[in-house]
Amino acid sequence: MDEVKRADGKRADAIWLEILGRHRDVVSRTRLASDAVTLGRAYDNDIVLDDPHVAAHHLRIARGDDGAWVAEDLGSVNGLVVEGERARRERIVLGDATTVLAGHTGLRLRHAGEAVPAELPLVRSAPRWPLAIVCIVLLFALEWLGLWLGETGEPKLIRYLTPLATIAIAIAVWTTLWSVVSRVFSGHARFGLHLLIVAAGLLAFSLYDQFSDLGAFALSWTRLSNTVYVAAWLAFAAVCFAHLRAIANTKLPLKAAAVIALAALGITMQSLKLSDWRANSGQAATLQKLEPPSIRIVSAQAESAFFATNDALKAALDKARSEEPAGDGDSGSDD
Amino acid sequence: MKDRFFGTALGRAALFVCAFAAQAALAQALQPQPPAAPAAAPGVPVSAAAEGIYAGARSSLLQIRTLVEAANRQSSIGSGFLIGADGLAITNYHVVSQYALEPKTYRLEYVRPDGTKGALKLLAIDIANDLSVVQLDGTDLPHLEFDPTAVAGELPRGERVYAMGNPLDLGFTIVEGNYNGLVERSYNERVHFTGAINPGMSGGPAVTGAGKVVGINVAKRLDGELVSFLVPARKAAALLARARKDSPLTLAQAREEIDRQLLAWQDGFYHALDEKGFRATKFGPYQAPESAADWFNCWARTNAEQTPKPRAQMDSSSCSSQSSLFIAEDIESGRSELTHAYVRSVDLNAFQFAAFLSQYYGAASMSRSWSRKRLTQPQCHEDFVAPADAATAPTLRAVWCARAYRDFAGVYDITLTTVTQDRDKEALVSRLALQGVSYDNALALAKRFMGEIAWTK
Repeated sequence: MDEVKRADGKRADAIWLEILGRHRDVVSRTRLASDAVTLGRAYDNDIVLDDPHVAAHHLRIARGDDGAWVAEDLGSVNGLVVEGERARRERIVLGDATTVLAGHTGLRLRHAGEAVPAELPLVRSAPRWPLAIVCIVLLFALEWLGLWLGETGEPKLIRYLTPLATIAIAIAVWTTLWSVVSRVFSGHARFGLHLLIVAAGLLAFSLYDQFSDLGAFALSWTRLSNTVYVAAWLAFAAVCFAHLRAIANTKLPLKAAAVIALAALGITMQSLKLSDWRANSGQAATLQKLEPPSIRIVSAQAESAFFATNDALKAALDKARSEEPAGDGDSGSDD
Repeated sequence: MKDRFFGTALGRAALFVCAFAAQAALAQALQPQPPAAPAAAPGVPVSAAAEGIYAGARSSLLQIRTLVEAANRQSSIGSGFLIGADGLAITNYHVVSQYALEPKTYRLEYVRPDGTKGALKLLAIDIANDLSVVQLDGTDLPHLEFDPTAVAGELPRGERVYAMGNPLDLGFTIVEGNYNGLVERSYNERVHFTGAINPGMSGGPAVTGAGKVVGINVAKRLDGELVSFLVPARKAAALLARARKDSPLTLAQAREEIDRQLLAWQDGFYHALDEKGFRATKFGPYQAPESAADWFNCWARTNAEQTPKPRAQMDSSSCSSQSSLFIAEDIESGRSELTHAYVRSVDLNAFQFAAFLSQYYGAASMSRSWSRKRLTQPQCHEDFVAPADAATAPTLRAVWCARAYRDFAGVYDITLTTVTQDRDKEALVSRLALQGVSYDNALALAKRFMGEIAWTK
């Protein structure tokens, strides 16, 4: 390292010793004034370490003749270990990226010339909660509209309030949980952001839910409304991913893979459950909800085409007759 | 027509029991009665004539039991009677149906009034008339004879007739009643017998004062008193002649034979239905087909007097055929139902009205009981259907659902439901439900049904 004197008189070859806690966060930083320091729990050391797994006189860090810094074990029980390795060593040469573990405490040297990341500008991001409130209001309006348009009996206020209250409570509990997790792992609760994520996710799903019913009728595409649960799981996965990203913008591929796996598992399980229910109840998947005739987009089939398709079902039924499992009881006793 | 079996403490005492499903509430109220309270034989004193008739016929009577082979215990009981010195006997098909369909699981046994028992051989079946011919070993056996008047034509209405059998496994009995001619408005020929027939008497003979057989006990109505039914003697005589002439049915053939008879019967029934034609009935601005066949029973329903006041008014008319064919405890054929419901909004908006209609449309996919063992899962097809002539009929939303019978090839249950799509707050919901029908017959009837839904001229 070049011996450069800077304008402010500070030596460019100053060495800092960083003491790291259990979770590798920097507990303290000390500028090494001499070429050798001793470390341990005893108070006659140069630097005192507060770790029950550290010996009274645990190690010595000194500059060798060649200028390299070396950590030496002074006869401790737990010894010295390079982070990332398993075997203890008597003597460790401290390179730029080497962290030495004494007990649970980490020790690392930093040179004055080491590059530091650029200063982060303070971002005065607009508060997220107003947008979240807008989403929640829209969500409630949409759900309310859905309930009202499906109302065929005596309108009762409680029938409208119960689902909305349930949604409100669920949002509150969900957001609080994520805020707590966020606070623990990133130090910031970010309640507004988490509220916005869940509100936007629910709003998107609710929109899809309403329009899938309309679309299933308008396009005469029953599958659209019978597979809403797939959209529900995808929305759930997307919301979870957004929460995880809000906590820390790191390891995104891993997080994405985790939520995709979760969604795939959910969709698979629900599909199996549904097909099992169909097999046991003998219910066919037909359109659940009719809409006003004016919603129809596709043109009507000719009667002959409709019956031609009906006729074609016969082959599938005859095949099912011999192939479909009959469940318990005697089966396959056909002639 | 709702047909139900009574359960007894011993298992199943066979009697083809009918109760009209005229109104859903009524049919539900008529659950099978517990054996603890069997309909006690009414206090009609059995006359001296009956004493003589019973004494004469007693030795020809049989109790016919279906036993579970593995457990050697009876799973159902019925009656029968000897009709030839060679051991031929007549009973109902439904008394031996378990054995006919599952010969590996069940076996047949007879018990005579003197307590002798033995195995029975199944010779012939006639599912349309719910009859079978069985045979027990022996020669020179006592037996009954058919009444020639009954075989040739009909007895006069009011003639005294005596039904015999073993009700509820309580012992052989004789019941006095009256012959009331053939049941009107029924596709299958049945004699209306006014007398107490109870579960377990199925297959037993009904005889005249001279001891000649005029009919075979088969069913009773659950919603009436003493309203019972007999299979006419000539049907039994015909089957007996066939059994004597043809080689006996082997067990491997039984299922095929049932399948064949079922297909032939439904063919006859549904063709007759088609031939009788439909008459256009007015429902608000629409007209819809109702069967002109007189074996349909129609009932109207309205929700107008419901509380709270309904927000859409529905007036429906449901016609169901009173004829159905017993195949097995959970399979029947020939039930057909035509339902039309004219619905109009009172104060619902277009979306709410559509939601109201959904409850009739959604249930369309096979509402009747479904047994995974007997039926495949339904296959459905739904779409909007344009009328052949757009000037006279509305566009429809239609759903067709079909399921196949696992045990019988070529037999299906079909429903077709349509909802008119020409108005926002008014609609006609129509449904055609056919049970135990061949696919081609169902398609033909459904095409005709759909083609006759139109606007009133």
